[in-house]
Amino acid sequence: MPGKFCVSLTCATDSPDKATVAFVVANAAVASDQETVVFLSTEGVRLAVRGAADGVAEEGFSPLKDLMANFAAAGGKIYVCSPCFKKRKLDDTALVTGAVIVGGAKLVEFMSTGCPSVSY
Amino acid sequence: MPSETEEPDWDAGAMGCGDLVLGLRARLLPLAPGTMFRLRATDPAAPEDIPAWCRMTGHALASANHPVYIIRRKGA
Repeated sequence: MPGKFCVSLTCATDSPDKATVAFVVANAAVASDQETVVFLSTEGVRLAVRGAADGVAEEGFSPLKDLMANFAAAGGKIYVCSPCFKKRKLDDTALVTGAVIVGGAKLVEFMSTGCPSVSY
Repeated sequence: MPSETEEPDWDAGAMGCGDLVLGLRARLLPLAPGTMFRLRATDPAAPEDIPAWCRMTGHALASANHPVYIIRRKGA
């Protein structure tokens, strides 16, 4: 039952609980043969930079860094909001595996043919 | 590693949600089509999650007796 799935995440280490659960759900989606995108916007874009997730380990969950690496290794994609990233003056040469900086058109294209989503 | 006469298995312990199905996928896909796989998963969500995962991915849930699930890899 292949399909698409989008997880929208608007926080990073400012809300480690939400960031962790977002990637847990994303991993469930990609493991279920869904073409899965995690869309990072506003504060969430900070997670696209290598090292940003280091040290985030919520009780009862795998470390966020591992969740993100597992997601990418399973074929998941991370879309990073371009204006949000630029606004924060983050380093676009240090993106985590699976991350790509995109504008709105890329996200709209992905979702326009029908795509369930969940937001954190 | 299991012998040729034993079904491959994985004791996932209390692992759940995305970690569980991602780990299950990684262990099941390298197997030959039709292989029977024994999963042990004590997570309380497993009775709902494992059948749903099998429906989505096309693998057959041969039996479900929580916490033990027998899954036949798709493709045969």
